[in-house]
Amino acid sequence: MQRDKFFKEIENVRHPNETLVKTHCSYCGMQCGMNLRVNTLTNKIIGVEPRYDWPVTVGKMCPKGVTAYQQTNHDDRILKPLIRDDASLKGTKEGFREASWEEAYDLIAKKFTEMQKQYGNDTLSVFSGVSMTNEKCYLTGKFARVALGTRYIDYNGRFCMSSAAGGFLRSFGVDRGSTLPWTDIHETDCLFIAGSNTAECHPTSMFRVWNVQERGGYIIVADPRETPIARRADVHLDLKPGTDLALANGILNLLIQNGYADEEFVNQHTNGFEETKELVKEFTPEYTSELTGVAPEKIIKAAEIYGKAPNAVVMFARGIEQQHKGVDNVSGYTNMALVTGKIGRPKSGVATFTGQGNGQGGREHGQKSDLLPGYRKITNPEHVKEVCQVWGITPDEMPEPGVSAYEMFELMEEKTIRGLYLLCSNPAVSAPNLNFVRKALKGLDFMVCADFYLSESAEFADVVLPTVTWSEDEGTVTNLEGRIIKINKAQEPLGESKPDWQIQAELAERLGKGKYFSHLKTAKDVADEFRLASKGGYADYYGATWDKIDKQDGVFWPCKDENDQGTPHMFLDKKFYHPDGKAKICALPYRPPAEEPDEKFPLRLTTGRVVYHYLSGNQTRRIPFLRDMCPEPFVEVHPETAAKYKMEHEERVRLFTRRGEAIYKVKITEAIRKDTVFVPYHFGHEQSINLLTIAALDPISRMPEFKACAAQLEKVENAEMKKVQ
Amino acid sequence: MTKKRLYLELENCIGCRSCLAACTQCGGHEERNRNYVYDVNPLVNRQTMPLMCLHCVNPACARSCPAQAIQIHETGAVLSALVEKCIGCQNCTIACPYGIPKFDTEQNLMYKCDLCIDRTKDGIPPMCASVCPSNTLQWLTDEEIENKKQQFNLDNGKWVTSLPYLEGETNVKVNLPGILQGVTKLF
Repeated sequence: MQRDKFFKEIENVRHPNETLVKTHCSYCGMQCGMNLRVNTLTNKIIGVEPRYDWPVTVGKMCPKGVTAYQQTNHDDRILKPLIRDDASLKGTKEGFREASWEEAYDLIAKKFTEMQKQYGNDTLSVFSGVSMTNEKCYLTGKFARVALGTRYIDYNGRFCMSSAAGGFLRSFGVDRGSTLPWTDIHETDCLFIAGSNTAECHPTSMFRVWNVQERGGYIIVADPRETPIARRADVHLDLKPGTDLALANGILNLLIQNGYADEEFVNQHTNGFEETKELVKEFTPEYTSELTGVAPEKIIKAAEIYGKAPNAVVMFARGIEQQHKGVDNVSGYTNMALVTGKIGRPKSGVATFTGQGNGQGGREHGQKSDLLPGYRKITNPEHVKEVCQVWGITPDEMPEPGVSAYEMFELMEEKTIRGLYLLCSNPAVSAPNLNFVRKALKGLDFMVCADFYLSESAEFADVVLPTVTWSEDEGTVTNLEGRIIKINKAQEPLGESKPDWQIQAELAERLGKGKYFSHLKTAKDVADEFRLASKGGYADYYGATWDKIDKQDGVFWPCKDENDQGTPHMFLDKKFYHPDGKAKICALPYRPPAEEPDEKFPLRLTTGRVVYHYLSGNQTRRIPFLRDMCPEPFVEVHPETAAKYKMEHEERVRLFTRRGEAIYKVKITEAIRKDTVFVPYHFGHEQSINLLTIAALDPISRMPEFKACAAQLEKVENAEMKKVQ
Repeated sequence: MTKKRLYLELENCIGCRSCLAACTQCGGHEERNRNYVYDVNPLVNRQTMPLMCLHCVNPACARSCPAQAIQIHETGAVLSALVEKCIGCQNCTIACPYGIPKFDTEQNLMYKCDLCIDRTKDGIPPMCASVCPSNTLQWLTDEEIENKKQQFNLDNGKWVTSLPYLEGETNVKVNLPGILQGVTKLF
């Protein structure tokens, strides 16, 4: 139990006829503690009360967290299964009729069976997400491979955390998003934060971040925009989108040249130093400046501060990860910690700000095309054998590895995949190159979508199954620290909605695979099987029982058995997870973004979030307070750029790339580079910025390059004139 | 119970408006928020600041009320207008030097921050300070506030405030921008 100076003993307010249910937020990887207020007469959630006793966030919540409870009893909830008989209406909200679960299950079973008979097992696919419990994530992997017997399963982490995973695996041999608990953050002497708009995307980290400066420490921020955190940083490295690796190499070079390398640590605990040292020599401050657009003095100052800091934490997020070299960026910035030995001890280390609520746990337990529970590899026969024993199938029944999320849409387009079971995700907004993706969804023979609201993706479905919100089920989630925590049930499912694990178990029964699922009657049953399935993998959750999570305020994995209290700090013994126990310092040649600006498309387009919305906005755009604060997307343009294009503040303009176009309101701000424009990605239909983004994938993580592509702006009247001509 | 106060550290504000969302959640607030967050210079940068009721010791809003509808709680909190007394004259909205009281034209009723009196009367922090992710809004003892003042020495030769408070003495304390100016760097 870590309780720090921010923790205060505070009693909660208790109103008559109300009870408080301790839980965590439904949204991002911070998983802020909260109490849901439940009316004991109606047994309905009616509000929120801070959870002062949660050690990570001590009662703090962002506006999404404060209003999260409004999702549960929302008018837009789907209360019964929906079936659409007229396939010509796909891609719209029209044509759905309410149906019974029996009818929906019958239809799905019939269609799935027919299609698999005709085209083979792999004609079906599962596209999942990680904004749900470990238990659901685990069972979804089993559902795809055992109930459907298909190799094609992947998840929205490919648009979120997969580059961090790939980078950590390569550098450390293990992928735990943070090597240290968040309660260390404010005690460090320097935070080097790259590609994270922390104040908007993980606001409840901010009281710890600011405290570093209050104590006299330093904050260095690398971001193309002057975000609220960059505005107050000691050094703001205002780089061009997509040039992070050059910056990382440039800083590493200075750290080595100026004697900040910890030779003893490097010799004893790492491989690859000499090769990397040679490679980064080229990245002088001047050359780095040429590539990144950051002034050489700033690069020198940043390297000096990080080098001198007794303790420092390197942190990053989607800004560096959503690139076609995202994995290299992660390893590149991680190099800084490995070369200087600022890792494997309290108050120093490396961390990624996990995007989705269960971005960490959800990627460890078998929703990824090539992974099985406990972070086992589906290509490793030993690993397959271990999981088969828990699942009760034989190794030859285990499907081969599939393909990544975006590549599944390519297979849909070429009819290798004809059916889709979609859950916990909204790729019709969140995937890149949306014109292509929406066409692929529309062309499917049969699509099922499980969700609690009718998302933009559900508009392509033949059957929509009503699921529960996070507050109507229980289970575990792994937060951005790698801490396994417990989500608790606050009310009974609304209408006829059901948790995903129950839907999958019931559907498996219809598909003749009941014997592998019928014992799973409660979330706890799934949890027990899941802990067993993870046992022996390196993401070992076996010892993380619900009781222990409750008693210890969460359990950091790995946690191998009953007596293991978990692992808040990674690598304290300086042992990394590669077979020789050493970490890898990676020599990473620089590559520019996949699409560089040119005469026709002279601007760099980058995308991101606003504080009021979460992911595709399917949840937050329905919450009145959040919708009022940010009802529609905008394009951020520097005043000099706007003047060049003769554009006014709040004027509607056309933004376009080689892939698509959209109309946005201009938001003029000096807080962005002159060569860059920014659009938030939470919006659907014709205002989705992903109509414009590029599907250039990272070779390892298969992450698309959401953060950089070439674009052009145009006044709407000019665009209309062209049409007339 | 040691008395605690709302304390504002304006430079910490990140503009998330969680304080406004949380304000709607306090039991007595009828789901309406009662404070403000301003974009200081929106075309230039992302600076924002909250504008909260400062709960004046001698509040202009209450003094200007012809119906004595604005009561002062024993904790010093300046309460929202009493529904049965407020005549909807809007004097208070004009009198307040900070523009805090809001007016509901449908109900013909003024409403304002009551410092979550349901909570703060028992020493529980108000909703805004409970949730504020950046510690712009804090709930501190006088001793903690005094320590803060000594830590952030605003009078560093370049920058001085003209008054210990803005417009008359207030129960809520504000540390004016510049909190990092007196900080000695660790290295």
